[in-house]
Amino acid sequence: MTDAASQGRQNDKTLMIGIGEYRVGSQPMMTIGLGSCIGLTLYDSRLKIGAMVHIMLPESAGRTDRPGKYADTAIPLLLKELGALGCKNRSLVAKMAGGASMFEYFGTNLNIGERNAEKVKVLLKEYQITLASEEIGGKVGRSVTFLPAQGGSVTIRRADGTTNEI
Amino acid sequence: MKLSVVQADAIQELGNIGAAHAATTLSQMLGSPVEMSVPSIKVVDIANLGTVMGEESAAMVAFELQGEIQHGGFILFYITRESAVRLTNTMLGLTEMNRPMNEMDESALIEVGNIMVSAFLDATAELLGFIMLPSPPALTIDMAHAAMESLITQMAVEVDDVLLFSTELVCEEHKIDSDIIMMPEHSTLVHIIELLENMMKGA
Repeated sequence: MTDAASQGRQNDKTLMIGIGEYRVGSQPMMTIGLGSCIGLTLYDSRLKIGAMVHIMLPESAGRTDRPGKYADTAIPLLLKELGALGCKNRSLVAKMAGGASMFEYFGTNLNIGERNAEKVKVLLKEYQITLASEEIGGKVGRSVTFLPAQGGSVTIRRADGTTNEI
Repeated sequence: MKLSVVQADAIQELGNIGAAHAATTLSQMLGSPVEMSVPSIKVVDIANLGTVMGEESAAMVAFELQGEIQHGGFILFYITRESAVRLTNTMLGLTEMNRPMNEMDESALIEVGNIMVSAFLDATAELLGFIMLPSPPALTIDMAHAAMESLITQMAVEVDDVLLFSTELVCEEHKIDSDIIMMPEHSTLVHIIELLENMMKGA
């Protein structure tokens, strides 16, 4: 997804990002049905490019085969790929959504949504990335659309059809 | 996680028996016939979960599999929001479709899920001689993908793919379409297959 030929070209085909996946570039990107996972976007307004990832867990514990799945491997990787396209950390702006708790019960991985959100925040701070806005927590599923070519807008849609920009 | 044809057949038969019992209880609650599909078995990569469950609004009553196993995976009663309203309308004697779901609906859905999943697991326990009990139920009425990913995240052993074993239960008269979906932990699946294979050898 770091294909230079696709840069700057308006491409209406929306890239769908599944659990643990990520994309980098200027195309519209979308991830559906975030529950306890986090949809994180990074955007460079000067270059009008960005990245989106659907993070499932805070820690990779040494696993490297699916870097987009974990906060601690996803964020450095996105920064590296954006860096290769000319983005500087200090010019990147982050937005995030998700981290909900869909079920009230169940016990092997308590408050995973909250832990995901906390880990992402700690890492963004560590890499000195500004977190511009967030919509985290609650008991609600969220789909997120990210439009790097159009000012990096991030729109959330819920099951009841309501939408808002963050 | 790959199943041989024989293993898949055995699991399918197990699902047939479980779902038939669940269908009977649903039929009794609705007072009308309920048809069931052939159980389907899918191994789904988590990145492609969206191809199985998307943004559709659905009610899910989820249970952790417990009993002789500690964290055995999950089993859930899945019903689209529209069917869920029809189901509770039928049970509560209402007709209005365009209404928000309230506590009465939630209690009714949890009760239906509880009865059906208990019937399913009773039947499989009898067949396998291996007792899986449902945890207390948890309900969510929201985007199907969001609910499912949250359950996958709570599995005892972290996974990149899940085995979804589902049977569709349909009541034509009231236009109610629902599924019972089992998502076992890998170790639970291995154990169930072992038991089934031993049964077949003994037969």
